[in-house]
Amino acid sequence: MAAADSPSAALRRRDLCSRGIRLAGKMRADVIDLLDAYVEQQGLDASASVAAVEGVPLAAVERWDEQTGTQRLLENLAAYRAFRALLAQMLEEQREQLGEADAGLGRALAAVLLQVSAFAYHLEELLRLESRGIPGEEEEEDGPPPPPRLSLFEQKLRGLGVLRELAQWALRSVRDLRQLAKPSPATGVAPGLVESP
Amino acid sequence: MFSRWNWVACGFYLVLNICSPDASGGLVQSCGHIIPESPVLALGSNFTALCILNESCLDFGNIYASQIIWKIKNKLVPKEQYREINRTVSSVTFNDTSSLATPLTCNILADGQIEQNIYGITVTVGLAPEKPKNLSCIVYQMSKLTCVMTCTWNPGRHTFLDTQFRLRYSWPEEIFPDCIPKDVNNSCTINDIQFFVNTEIWVEATNALGKAESDPLVVDPIDIVKPLPPQNISVRSEVLPTVLKLFWENWISDAVMTLKFNIRYRIVGDTNWIEVPSEDTASPRTSFSVQGLRPYTEYVFSIRCMKEDGVGYWSDWSEEKTGITTEEKPSKGPPLWRIIDTSHSPASWTVHLIWKALKPFEANGVILQYEVTVRDKTSLSSPVKKYNVTSTNHTLELREGTYEVTLIARNSAGASPPSVLLIPASNSKAPVKNLRTLPKHDKLWVGWTAPNSYVLKYVIEWCLVSSSSDCVIEWQIALGDVQGIDLKGIKPFKCYLITVYPLYADGQGSGQSVKAYLKQDRPSKGPTVQTKKVGKAEAVLTWNHLTVEEQNGFIRNYTILYKTIDGNETVVTVDPSKTEYTLSSLTSDTLYTVRMMASTDNGSRTGPDFTFTTQKFGKGEIEAIVVPVCLAFLLIVLLGVLFCFNKRDLIKKHIWPIVPDPSKSNIAQWSPQVPAKHNFNSKDQMYPEGSFTDVSVVEIEADDKKSFSEQDLKPFDLLKKEKSTSEGHSSGIGGSSCMSSPRQSVSDSDEGETTHNTSSTVQYSTVVLNGYRDQTPVQVFSRSESTQPLLDSEERSEDHAGGAGSTAQRQQYFRQNGGQDEINTDRPCFERAKQITHANEGDLVGFVQLQISGQSSQPLGLGMEKITQEAAVSNILQTCTEGQTVRPETVEENPLSVDEMPKSYLPQTVRQGGYMPQ
Repeated sequence: MAAADSPSAALRRRDLCSRGIRLAGKMRADVIDLLDAYVEQQGLDASASVAAVEGVPLAAVERWDEQTGTQRLLENLAAYRAFRALLAQMLEEQREQLGEADAGLGRALAAVLLQVSAFAYHLEELLRLESRGIPGEEEEEDGPPPPPRLSLFEQKLRGLGVLRELAQWALRSVRDLRQLAKPSPATGVAPGLVESP
Repeated sequence: MFSRWNWVACGFYLVLNICSPDASGGLVQSCGHIIPESPVLALGSNFTALCILNESCLDFGNIYASQIIWKIKNKLVPKEQYREINRTVSSVTFNDTSSLATPLTCNILADGQIEQNIYGITVTVGLAPEKPKNLSCIVYQMSKLTCVMTCTWNPGRHTFLDTQFRLRYSWPEEIFPDCIPKDVNNSCTINDIQFFVNTEIWVEATNALGKAESDPLVVDPIDIVKPLPPQNISVRSEVLPTVLKLFWENWISDAVMTLKFNIRYRIVGDTNWIEVPSEDTASPRTSFSVQGLRPYTEYVFSIRCMKEDGVGYWSDWSEEKTGITTEEKPSKGPPLWRIIDTSHSPASWTVHLIWKALKPFEANGVILQYEVTVRDKTSLSSPVKKYNVTSTNHTLELREGTYEVTLIARNSAGASPPSVLLIPASNSKAPVKNLRTLPKHDKLWVGWTAPNSYVLKYVIEWCLVSSSSDCVIEWQIALGDVQGIDLKGIKPFKCYLITVYPLYADGQGSGQSVKAYLKQDRPSKGPTVQTKKVGKAEAVLTWNHLTVEEQNGFIRNYTILYKTIDGNETVVTVDPSKTEYTLSSLTSDTLYTVRMMASTDNGSRTGPDFTFTTQKFGKGEIEAIVVPVCLAFLLIVLLGVLFCFNKRDLIKKHIWPIVPDPSKSNIAQWSPQVPAKHNFNSKDQMYPEGSFTDVSVVEIEADDKKSFSEQDLKPFDLLKKEKSTSEGHSSGIGGSSCMSSPRQSVSDSDEGETTHNTSSTVQYSTVVLNGYRDQTPVQVFSRSESTQPLLDSEERSEDHAGGAGSTAQRQQYFRQNGGQDEINTDRPCFERAKQITHANEGDLVGFVQLQISGQSSQPLGLGMEKITQEAAVSNILQTCTEGQTVRPETVEENPLSVDEMPKSYLPQTVRQGGYMPQ
């Protein structure tokens, strides 16, 4: 691991981690608030079970504490890039469905979208500090196939699934970044203790 | 000839060229144009414009670039700035665009000095935008979930051009929409703010002359947040009386940022805030216990917050919330004092115990009651008396003696320490010395010198001195180690009586008093002065002292100012203790104005004017004048009375002569030839010879005529008039003794004025005979010139004249009137009379001859006018004439003329008791 060679790089890394943790925390809070508004707005049942969203890595992993820092960052980046695309699609569908009728929901979606973008930027910066190449967008484009044409209800359910998964990922990202922010350089060996966000 | 037609054709062509529609579509085809077209120029730069003529105009208009002139707003540009580039292009250059104005026109000066405009452009001059400076941004929390970011900057100098400012911000991989200011050029507010990402913010200014960008500001918006203050604050009192606990809500999520706080508080009514140490509240929380507060005190709290790491801005202070601490037992006993009333009996006291309510920070709660304990120190066997009182005073009836009074204040939390007051039988201890006061701003400092003995404490009493109400005593206790206190609540311009008592462990010192003012002013009115007594040269002034409310300060002196109406004012200064003053050395019988002025240290006020007049005479002067005058008068009167008494006969003779009763006269006895009814004769008979004791002669010159009154002179005039109409009128009785000479009478009628005067002279002679006093009837009356015919004529006249004739005759007893002019003419007559008098001196007691010009003729004149009618006059005239004829026979020395009427009685020598024919 070639990261944190210089004090400024270490400082920058810590700053990015700190900011990323707070951003993820805020994103989670906002997403949870948005989930309530979304369920109510779309007329869905909050307890409705939704299938896993296609194209988004699962937040829950079995051996999370064994992941390296780079691995965490890459998984996070992949997830958030996927969320960015999904949220943008949701925002577009939302505008098509409701127009300007519910600008509040649209603004909240746009804000979450911005936070996802910002968090993705944080992850990219951290990866740069790790001297690791950043996966290109083409990679991303190749990854998740274009979503099939869905019915309106299916779109609503998928939106619910995206937001739930994003809330999970926000929680995991906080834990990942806290892990990265620890003084010992993350060399891929995760610490034994697992902190809850 | 050709040239003229040529220019005419050229002008026509130009007009045609300008006005006719062009085949290319334009309505106007110009003969040329200017490059650049409507430029925007930087202020102060140089500028060159080109005017390019169309070739077609050269061919047909016969115009060239050399004929071009440039104008700025109809003002010719100097030709030095022109340059003919070729035959169709002319340029103009301006070294400084600040001299430019709109429009800049290119014109042709054709032959004949005809100016023709070719083209014009609008020139705009301005400045390029400066680089915006001092960019700063604050993120304001608007609600729980909403934040906006407002950035401000310095836009730089004015550009004179339309300049657009836009606030731009971006993330490394995302550019956000620009924020364009509305109505201003130095601030803009961004509504979509995302925290935790460094955002690059900058300002871009653009106008026609350029674009400028500010230095970028890279900041995470979370670091420039000004959060909303904590909301829904509540205050709860705790069990401890010195603690209050605050609760509140934070309006920003912990997920966004954690907060630290500032808590401040103050006592209600106080303006000074106390802050809880910031390190105690530097962590996120929603409650805090404030300690070290006063029991039972109401506090006001306020909280603010900011990001925990101190990066960003403090919020505003929250709304204020109040809370009150719980009670605690009073911290000290109430200050206790007494007022002893011994007015009804020295041996029996009415003791008014008074104490002050504890201050809130001493009471530590609501005082429910006071417990008063009185112990008689002189009699140990006397029981201790206890009283529970809710007010701050208590009255006791005690016998004279020494008592110890204890006072305890009690609230819900407990009782205060006791306050003890010793009431000795007498204040026999040493008093304070050198009691003095000194105003200090709005407080009055009272100082004293402590007695030699140890003093427990001092009691300072003071009260507002009033003329209308009793002195309401206020008091204060000072510790024994102080020698002065400040009295608060003292009003300016009011007199205060201040008394200080030293309290000893075993007794009390007598009080020392002083009067004082916090601030003095001049009196609100002046004294009203009046006189108590006014004399000839002095006046006693009195006045009343000003009431204490009117004094406004210590009256240092009175000043009396007095003056006469036109005199100088005299000033007298009088001691303020006096209410009376005597002004001396005043002028008698003079009006004085006096007023009085009262003076304090800060000014004077004059009372109303009072006027008085000194007396003309001094005391006793009138008596000194009046009494002697009265005495003298009485003396004179007394002497007069005595004199009159002694001379009563003489006075009676002069004043009240006894007039004989004609009815009792007997003409037969008087003269057998004269009828008894002849009054004249009977009168004459009544005056016996020698009855006069003296003779007086009064001569009044004619020149003195003017000394007589007009009324007196009137008869004289009448007489003169009468004389002019009927000359030679006789008066009296038949001209029996007329002394006018006939010659004079002739001249009277012939010689005018002199004669008139002569003729107007009337002479009377009165012959008073002795013997009238004893009322002895005169038996014989002798008239020197009487003849029988005269008597006849008199009798006739008497008959005609009636009673009036007799009246005139009565007046003739004592007077003989005649004009002054006749004096000379009368003189022979008078001399003759004198001669006769001399001749008959032995027989004649006296006679009175009066010669009064004019005036004395009145009785006669009146008699002539009113009584004697023309007939009578003619009779008298006749009689006189007859007499005249007789007179030469009897008195040869008196040759009277016929015209000279015998107007007077000539004194005759009359012998008593007989008629002596002459």
